[in-house]
Amino acid sequence: MSSSVGADCTKLKIKYDNCFNKWYSEKFLKGDTTPECDELFKDYRACVLVALKDKGIDKLLNESRQETPFPPEEKSNKDSSA
Amino acid sequence: MVKFYQHTFQYDHSWQNVTLAFWLRYPNPFASHVLAVDVLDRYVDDRGVLKTTRLVLKKGKVPKWFPQALVKNSEAFVIEESEVDPQAMTMVTRTKNLNHVRIMQVEETQTFTRHGDWTSCKTEARIISRFGWGLAGRIEGFGQSSFAANASKARKGMRHILQLLREKQVGGRIPALMSPSLDV
Repeated sequence: MSSSVGADCTKLKIKYDNCFNKWYSEKFLKGDTTPECDELFKDYRACVLVALKDKGIDKLLNESRQETPFPPEEKSNKDSSA
Repeated sequence: MVKFYQHTFQYDHSWQNVTLAFWLRYPNPFASHVLAVDVLDRYVDDRGVLKTTRLVLKKGKVPKWFPQALVKNSEAFVIEESEVDPQAMTMVTRTKNLNHVRIMQVEETQTFTRHGDWTSCKTEARIISRFGWGLAGRIEGFGQSSFAANASKARKGMRHILQLLREKQVGGRIPALMSPSLDV
């Protein structure tokens, strides 16, 4: 698996990625959309956000999202054609 | 001016595996320029669609004729937004670079749809330069041709991962690719 942008976060990322990949292939793709890796994601994400701030990428991210929301914000009341 | 790129082809692999390979595609031997990948946000919405935002750090390539002093570092952050709808069997991914945007902005959309036992992948990209000095056109031309070359390398990378998945998935086992033993 690839590294995290924050060198200290790579271990947390690997733990989370392993959980996600297993969940994605064994549960999500088979119709069970109940999340399972939230705890691992919380720890990993917190670590990455600190790393992004240290590198000044957080501002870049925020600006980019303000300029052109990407992808366009989806409204939950949008037509559900499913 | 804006330059466009469009390409459609098919993977000889199931839609499920192609979308899994999308998550697993870094690292691979054809993507040595990818330095880091992080998930920033991920959730399943009320329609059962998985939405993910990832940040990819890439080592960029600057053409020889480009004024080197104008690029402090060639590292590029790319934001990747994706939606996976497991019921409709579609995955749509959108990427764009976050920095160096005045020199060149590349926006790419990929759509993966099921086509029987195969998976069709449509790639569309828009390349735009707002750079001055009369260089915008040349930069866009460079961007367009390197996009085509990079897209071909990206497909090789995906195929490499898909082949590994196919080899490891005998009897529906979890690919060893995902186990910690192959990490780092």
